[in-house]
Amino acid sequence: MPQKISLRIDGELIHTAGQRSILEVALEHGKFIPSLCHMKGLASVGACRLCIVEVAGVGRVLPACSTPVQDGMAVTTQSDKLRRYRKIALELLFAERNHVCAVCVSNGHCELQGLATKLGVTGVRYPYTFPKIGVDLTHKKFTLDQNRCILCTRCVRVCAEVEGAHVWDVSSRGVGSRLVCELNRKWGESRNCTSCGKCVQSCPTGALAEKGFAVEEMTKRTEPISRLTALRGVRP
Amino acid sequence: MSKAKVATVWLDGCSGCHMSVLDMDETLLEVVKRADIVYGPLVDAQEFPEGVDLTLVEGAVSNQDDLKLIQKIRGRTKLLVALGDCAVTGNVPSMRNGIPVKALLERGYVEGSDVNHRPPTDGVPALLRNALPVHEVVRVDLHIPGCPPKADAIAYVVMEVLAGRKPELTGKVKFG
Amino acid sequence: MRRITDLSAFNEVREAGLAKLLPPGPRIAIGMGTCGTGNGAESVYHAFADAINQRGLGVKLARTGCFGFCAAEPLVNVWLPGKPLVILQRVQPNDVDAILDDLLAGRMPAGLALCKIEEWDHITGHVKYGAGCPEIPHWYDTAFFKGQKKIVLRNCGLISPGDIDEYFAVGGYQALYKALIDANPEAIIESIKVAKLRGRGGAGYQTGIKWDFLRKAKAEQKYIICNADEGDPGAYMNRNEIESDPHSLLEGMIIGGYVMGATEGIIYARAEYPLAVHRLNSAIEQAKEYGLLGENILNRGFKFNLRLVEGAGAFVCGEETALIRSLEGKAGRPTPRPPYPAESGLYGMPTNINNVETWYNIAPIVIKGAAWFTETGSPKSSGTKVFSLVGKVTNTGLVEMPLGTPLKTFVYDVGGGGTNGRAIKAVQTGGPSGGCIPMDMFDTAVDYESLGQLGSIMGSGGMVVMDEDNCMVDVARYFIEFTHSESCGKCIPCRVGLDKSLHYLNRISHGKGTAADLELLDELSRMIRDTSLCGLGQTAPNPVLTTMRHFRHEFEDHIRAGRCRAGVCEDLALSPCENSCPLHMNIPRFLQLLKEDRLEEAFLSVVMDNPLPASTGRVCQHPCDDRCRRAGIDEAVNMREVHRHIADAIYPTERFDALAAQVAARRLPPTGKKCAVVGAGPTGLACAFYLALLGHEVMVYDSNAAAGGMLRYALPDYRLPKDVLDLEIELIRRTGVQFTFDTQVPKDVSLNDLDSQYDSVFLAIGTWKESWVYLPGTELTGVIPALPFLEAISKQQPVPLGKNVAVIGGGNAAIDSARTALRLGSKVTIIYRRERKDMPAIAEETEAAEAEGAQIMFLATPHRIIGSPDGKVQAIEAVKTRLGEYDSSGRRRPIPTDEIVRMACDTVILAVGETVDADFAKASGLKIKESGLIEVDRYTLETSRPNFYAGGDLITGASNVSNAMGYGKKAARKIDQRLTGERRWDQIFPKFDIDQTPPAHPSASGRHHVTEVDAAERAKTFADATIGLAPVEAMEEACRCLRCDIRNGDHQ
Repeated sequence: MPQKISLRIDGELIHTAGQRSILEVALEHGKFIPSLCHMKGLASVGACRLCIVEVAGVGRVLPACSTPVQDGMAVTTQSDKLRRYRKIALELLFAERNHVCAVCVSNGHCELQGLATKLGVTGVRYPYTFPKIGVDLTHKKFTLDQNRCILCTRCVRVCAEVEGAHVWDVSSRGVGSRLVCELNRKWGESRNCTSCGKCVQSCPTGALAEKGFAVEEMTKRTEPISRLTALRGVRP
Repeated sequence: MSKAKVATVWLDGCSGCHMSVLDMDETLLEVVKRADIVYGPLVDAQEFPEGVDLTLVEGAVSNQDDLKLIQKIRGRTKLLVALGDCAVTGNVPSMRNGIPVKALLERGYVEGSDVNHRPPTDGVPALLRNALPVHEVVRVDLHIPGCPPKADAIAYVVMEVLAGRKPELTGKVKFG
Repeated sequence: MRRITDLSAFNEVREAGLAKLLPPGPRIAIGMGTCGTGNGAESVYHAFADAINQRGLGVKLARTGCFGFCAAEPLVNVWLPGKPLVILQRVQPNDVDAILDDLLAGRMPAGLALCKIEEWDHITGHVKYGAGCPEIPHWYDTAFFKGQKKIVLRNCGLISPGDIDEYFAVGGYQALYKALIDANPEAIIESIKVAKLRGRGGAGYQTGIKWDFLRKAKAEQKYIICNADEGDPGAYMNRNEIESDPHSLLEGMIIGGYVMGATEGIIYARAEYPLAVHRLNSAIEQAKEYGLLGENILNRGFKFNLRLVEGAGAFVCGEETALIRSLEGKAGRPTPRPPYPAESGLYGMPTNINNVETWYNIAPIVIKGAAWFTETGSPKSSGTKVFSLVGKVTNTGLVEMPLGTPLKTFVYDVGGGGTNGRAIKAVQTGGPSGGCIPMDMFDTAVDYESLGQLGSIMGSGGMVVMDEDNCMVDVARYFIEFTHSESCGKCIPCRVGLDKSLHYLNRISHGKGTAADLELLDELSRMIRDTSLCGLGQTAPNPVLTTMRHFRHEFEDHIRAGRCRAGVCEDLALSPCENSCPLHMNIPRFLQLLKEDRLEEAFLSVVMDNPLPASTGRVCQHPCDDRCRRAGIDEAVNMREVHRHIADAIYPTERFDALAAQVAARRLPPTGKKCAVVGAGPTGLACAFYLALLGHEVMVYDSNAAAGGMLRYALPDYRLPKDVLDLEIELIRRTGVQFTFDTQVPKDVSLNDLDSQYDSVFLAIGTWKESWVYLPGTELTGVIPALPFLEAISKQQPVPLGKNVAVIGGGNAAIDSARTALRLGSKVTIIYRRERKDMPAIAEETEAAEAEGAQIMFLATPHRIIGSPDGKVQAIEAVKTRLGEYDSSGRRRPIPTDEIVRMACDTVILAVGETVDADFAKASGLKIKESGLIEVDRYTLETSRPNFYAGGDLITGASNVSNAMGYGKKAARKIDQRLTGERRWDQIFPKFDIDQTPPAHPSASGRHHVTEVDAAERAKTFADATIGLAPVEAMEEACRCLRCDIRNGDHQ
C-alpha cells in the first residue's frame, strides 16, 4: 500500500497516495492541465509537453504526466510562462501537418481544436509545413488520415498495452516521423489488427476515424477503455 | 468625433465569412453608427482607400492579385484582422499546396474538362506556389478563426476595436 | 596464455609486457589510430616492416594508438635502450630508411623529432625510458603538450592497444586486483565520491552518487553500460581512447561491476568506429583468456561478463534512456525520467550508464586515491578532461587539460592561435548541444559551471574553434540542421520546434529574414530548451541562443543590411572579394572586362563602384587579398593593382573626357533635393559622387583649400602623387558635385544653417586629432604629432626635423612619417610595443620602410623622452617588453621587463592613433559615444538629429581609406532612400554583359607584384615609390581570377 503524502497544487493542500503522477492527482482535484498524449489507463510517454507544470525549487518545468507527486511538493499549473509554452506547443502541432478543421470528421469533437480554443490559440505564428502526406482507407471499417495525426501515440499504446496486438508504431524520426501499421503495411492488409476500434476511440483528432461519418460527425469515447484497464488492474 | 473607417476584403475564400458578417444583424447598425464601411464586397468602391482604421480580410492569399492587394491594404490599414480560417490558416484553399501548380491546373482544366483543354491565361492572375494564410505575407494584428467565424465573435471584435480596446478571444472562437 | 590466478602469474605477465615495451634492441611504434591511419600510417608501418625484413634487423616494430597531436600525424615513436623515447612527426614512407640508419647507428633522428619522453607516469605505473638527446625538447616543453596532464590518456600512443601484456607492463589491471583483494566496494564508492569525479559525458553528474544508487538497488540482475556512442560533429575523444587503450576501459568497467554488484556489462559503441570496435573485441577476448572476464575473476570468486553492442549511429542514442531502448532492440527514442536507469533501466532492471572517459578515471582513483585526484582541476570539478581541439587553430588534436583551465590556454597556447594568423572569433564547446563562446570571454574557466553560465555546456569534449571566416548565423544553422535531422521525433518541441527554427535560420542566411523572425526564433528556442523531453532537445537550441546573445550584430547584418561579413552565406555575396571590399566593388566583373580587352568598360565598372580607383589602387588595405580563393592554389589575385592599372590607363589620357561624360550621363533626373556633405575626404567625396548621380544637388564643405582630405594632406606623395588625385576629383566634380573650400563647420557655417538650407546633411570630417601619449618629456621641443607633420609636408610648409628621428607607433601614419623623414634626410627608428605581425600598418609599407633604411625596434614601449637643459629632445628611453597572456583582441599582451634601452635622437614623432576632434563633436550637439565618436544607427547612418547622417572615421575612429569610402557610399544610398522614399540605387549603375564561363583551368602565371623603385633611389625623392603593373601583367592578373562569382546554373 503506497503511503499517503501531502502536496499543494496551485496553493490547494491535497492528500493523496504516493507513486502517482502530478497530472492524475491534479485532474482528480478538478485542476485543468492541458494534455494530448496522456490517456487514463495508458502508460505516460511525455510526448506532447502540454502538461508542463512548475514545481517550487525545481529550476525547470516538468511534465505532470510523468512526474510523480512527492510529499511537500508545491505545484503551479498556470503561469505566464506555462501558458506561453503551451500555446507554442499547440501552434507547432497545427503548423506541422494539415489540420483543416473545417472539413474534418472530428470538427467540434477534436481535442487539439478544443485546446486551441481553451488556451487562446487563434492563429499560428510559425510557417505551415504543408506536407504532402496520404490517407489510408484500406481498412474495411476505419480510416487513417496522416494529415491530422499529432503523433501522440495513444493508438500505439492502446493497441499494444490493452488490445495486445501492437499493430501501430512510429517509423522514421524527427519531422519525418509517421504512424505506421505493422511494418509499414496498408491497414487493410494488417495481420494483427482485430478491428476492435480502440485506437480510433483513443485518437484525440480526426486522424483515426470510422468509415461512414462526414464532417463533424465522428465522436469518440475513451472512458470505456480507461475503465477496462482499471478493471483489469493494468493501471489505476 | 469623426467616424472610423472600416473595410472588408475577400481574397481566396468562399464568402462565408462575409455572410457571417451580415449575420451580425442589428450589431451592424451599431457599427455603421460609429464607422463608415469604405471598401469591400458590401460597398461600391473600386480603389482601396488610404487611412483605413480596421480591415477584415477573408480568404487565403492564393494568387498574384491577392498578394498585391493585401500588400497595399497593409500599407493603408491601421489594424488588420484575419477573418476566418482561410485567412488565418490557409484552410481549404491550402489543401492544394502539396500539388505543383502546373499539375493542379492540368487536372482542373485539361483532364477534368470537356472543352478547351487548357488552363486559362488571360484575365486571370497567376497562382502562387502555395495558398498562404495572410500573416505569412503581411503583418496581421488579430486573428478570428472559424469556418465561418461566429457572427458574435466578429461583432465582439469589431465593437471592441471601435471602442479602442484590445479584444480577448480566448475561449470565444474555434478553428473550423 | 593462461588464466591469471595469483600474484606471481600476474607479475609474470607484467614482466613479459615490460620486455615488449623496453626490448633489448630498438623499438619503433607507429601511431595507428584512425587519425594516423588516415594520414598514411599504414604505409609507414609497411615501409618499416619491409625494410626491417629486408635488412634482417632485430628491431621491434609495434602499432600503438595516438599520442594526440593530430596536426603532426603520422606520429612514430622510436626508442633505443638507455635513450629517451622520441616522438617523430609527419613521418612518410621515404623517411624510413634514414630513421633506421640513425637508430642502428645509435642516434635519434633529430630532424623529424617532435619531442622526447625520458620517463612517463602511467599513473598506475611508471616507465623510465632513458636520458639524453638535449637537442630534442621534452614533451612537456612543446607548445601543444605544455600544461597537459594525461590521466585519461595515460597510455595512449605509448603502448600497443592490441597487446594486453603491454597494458600489464604499465600497471594495468593492478587496480582491479587491488579492488578484488581489498574486497571493500563501499570504500571505492566513497573514494570516487570524495574524488568528486563527475560524469564525462557532458551532464557532469557525480559518478560516486550514481554508483551508490546501483549498488544499493536490489534486483536479480543489474547492468552496467559504457556509453561509447560518441556522435558530436568534431568530437573524437572516445574513439581515440578506445583505439589507443581499450584495456583501461575494460578495467574500469570490471571494477564498476564488482563495486556495484553487476555481473553484466555492455559497451554500446558506434558502428562507425570500426577500428575501436575491432580493438575492443580483441581486448575482450584477451581479457577472457587471462581470466579477467567471465567466472571467478583473478581467482577471487567474482563473475563478470562484458559484451560489445554496435549502435547504428543515431545521435539520440547517446541519451541514456534511448540507448537502453536501442539495446533492447527497440527504436532509439528516449523515455521520461523518472524512472531513472538506476531504478528501472535495461529490461526494467537497475542499470548504470557512464561515459567512456568516466570509466578511464576509475583505475587511477583506485590506485592513487581521492586526494591525489582532487589535486588536479577546480574545486567543483576535479581531474582532467580530454577535448578534441579542432577547427581554425594551428595545432589540432586531442588535449587533456585539468578542469578549470581558461579557454584561452586551449586556443592560444595549446592550439597555437588561428591558422595563417587569422583572428579567432569564438569557440563552440559541447558540439551541437553546446554554445558559442566569443573571444572576449576566453578567460572563462573550462568546467561544468562556468560553461553553463555562458549558455554552453562542457559536453563530451568537442571544442571547435572558429575565426573571422565563420559566419555565426551559419554556425547556428549548421548545428540546428544536425539536431533537426537527429531528433527522434517523439516530443513536439524538438520535433517541430527545431524544424521551424531551421526554417527561420535558413531564411536569415538567405537574406530573407525579418526582425520578427528573430524574436520568434528566440522565444521558440527557449521553449524547446525548457520543455523538450530529453537532453537532445533541451540542449539543441544552445547554439542559436548563444550566437544570438553574443553575435547578435551578425544576425542583424544578415537581416537589415543583407550582408554576411564572413562571406559564408552565398546568397548575400557575389564573391569573397566583393564581400570583403568595403565598397563592395564588383571585382570579378572588372577583371573579366579587362580580360576581354574592354578597358573603357572596365574603367566604367571600376569607377562606378569606387570613384577614387587610382588612389585606392595605391593605398588601400586590400582586404580582398585575404579572401581570394586563388590563394588556395598559389597567391591571391592582385586586385588592387589591377584597378590602379585600369584607372591609370584612362585618367591621364585623352579618353578621360569621354569617359567622365559617360559617368556623368548616368545621373538621374534632378530630384530638387539639396544635400550638404561636410568634409571633402574620401568619405565625403564618395557620398557626394553617388548623391549627385542620384539626381540630388550636392555641396561639399571643407576647411582646406582643396579636396581629398587625408589623401591629400596625410598621405605622402611617394604613395599617392597628387596629380592622380586631382584627376579623380575632377571626375567627381563633373557629375555635378560643388565645393565650398576654406569653410569650417560648425565655426563658419553652423549645423543649424546647414539644416535650414539642405534636405539632408552628411558629416564626414574624419579624425584629425592626434592621440597624445602621456609620458615624461612630451612637452619638449622636437616632439611632434604625426598628422600635423605629414600635413605640413604636404602643404610644403617648413618642419623642424632633426637628424635622428624616433617614430612611436605601428600604424600607417607611423610608417608614412618614418618614410617621409627618411626622404628628408633623417635617420629613423620606429618603436613599436608588439610584434611585427601585430602591426596595423600595411605589411608592404613596413617592408618598404625597412628597405629604405628605417630601423624598427619591436617589443619596446617608450618610457620617457629625455631633454637637454634648453628643452630640446636629446634621447628616448624605451622599456623592452616580452609577450604575456593573450588579451581580448587575441594578441599577446606586451609586458614590461627590467631592460631599458636608450637611444639618442633629436625628434620624436608620435603616431599612436588619431581621434575625433572633441570640440567638433561637442559643438555639433549630436549624441556622442563614450569614445567621443558620433553615435549613428549602424544600418542607416542616421545621427541623433533628424536629416543628419555621419560616416567614416567620425563614427568608427581612425580607420582606412576604403572603409571610409564604404561609409560614404552607403550613406548616399540611405540618404536617397529617405529623401525619395524609393529604392533607386540600382538605377545609376550600368549593366555589362560579360562572359559567364569560369576558366577551365587556372591560368599558369603567378601573382604579379608592382615594381618597387630601387630603395636607395626612391628614398631620396617624393616621387611614386612603385610602378604599377604593365598592361600585360594586368591582363595576366585578370586571367588569374577563378570567377567564384559564377553560380551553378549561370553557365552550361
